[in-house]
Amino acid sequence: MTLRHAAIVLALAGVAVAGYLTYVHYAGIEPVCTGGGGCERVQTSTYSELVGVPVALLGLLAYATLLGALAVDGELGRLVAATTALIGLGFSAYLQYRSLVTLDATCIWCLVSAALMACLAVLTATRLVRAPA
Amino acid sequence: MLRSRVLPLIVAVVVAAVVVIGAIVLSSSGEDGAPSGSSAPVAGGVKEADLSREMLDGIPQDGAVLGDPDAPAVMVEVADLQCPFCAEAGRQALPRIIEDYVRPGRVKLEFVNLAFLGEDSTRLARAAQAAGLQDRLWDVVDLVYRNQGQENSGYATETYIRQVLEAVPGLDVERALREREDPRVEQALARDQAYADRKGIQSTPTFLAGRTAAAAEPLELSELTGEALAAALQAKVAAGA
Repeated sequence: MTLRHAAIVLALAGVAVAGYLTYVHYAGIEPVCTGGGGCERVQTSTYSELVGVPVALLGLLAYATLLGALAVDGELGRLVAATTALIGLGFSAYLQYRSLVTLDATCIWCLVSAALMACLAVLTATRLVRAPA
Repeated sequence: MLRSRVLPLIVAVVVAAVVVIGAIVLSSSGEDGAPSGSSAPVAGGVKEADLSREMLDGIPQDGAVLGDPDAPAVMVEVADLQCPFCAEAGRQALPRIIEDYVRPGRVKLEFVNLAFLGEDSTRLARAAQAAGLQDRLWDVVDLVYRNQGQENSGYATETYIRQVLEAVPGLDVERALREREDPRVEQALARDQAYADRKGIQSTPTFLAGRTAAAAEPLELSELTGEALAAALQAKVAAGA
């Protein structure tokens, strides 16, 4: 399996997780959560939205962008994929800090998404550096 | 073979860093103001009414006191309903205290209602106190925190207050609206202000704990999180309050 294929699989998993969280946000229901209601606390907190846009939707857009960029086989595709994944990783890290430190809550879905994004950042950055000249 | 193609990676990292820092600044800028998306709370209806109901469901209330009247200790929250940090504490820290201490009857929670920030504070304080006459003060406090608007923007309109009251389970809304002018509301607010003066409260929110409200001492908090508040409260409770 190439780096690209692995990244596509991870990005698809990311679409599923972020898609579910976006659905939960708009449906106003509680996410299925193993960990004592932490998901709900995180999902309904101040930090669940960025200038009125749910961060779950931003995550979904990031994974969709990644999939699009991974489908383009070229320098631009690699650059966009790596940049998107690094943005995703940075913002995920910030949200995890808010979740664990500020809110004192663990959201398993958000942790999974952050882990996926971290793997994607490594894969896409490696692809970018290893690209043929 | 690994080639020396670090430049594109540097470009990607720099672009990502700029975007992430921008997003964090935007995200944090809402902290000292209203919670996100609540500049016009009325437009979208009362938010999180179901969460509020769930948090308070089944816990006894008596005036400004939430919890078992015979609880061995009391935690006092001195707050202005308009103060952003009070709302932050109410949203982030109080749910844990209520779940871990108030619901099991270990601590009761008393609200001391200050209205010093402006007109909106006074209007909100009166509404909460009027609901307190029906033992529903904490529902109003929590809903106002969850739907707080921009400080002194005039958001606490009649429509806003009515919508908040209508979201409170079991409340006679018309009676509460009427009783905002009740002398008992006036007296309760004066009593709360006197309590804050006596305790030398300098800022809101201030949390105190002790065996009784009169004997309660301020809790020293490093930050307004559930963890910090629970740790400070636990220390007081363990010390025999």
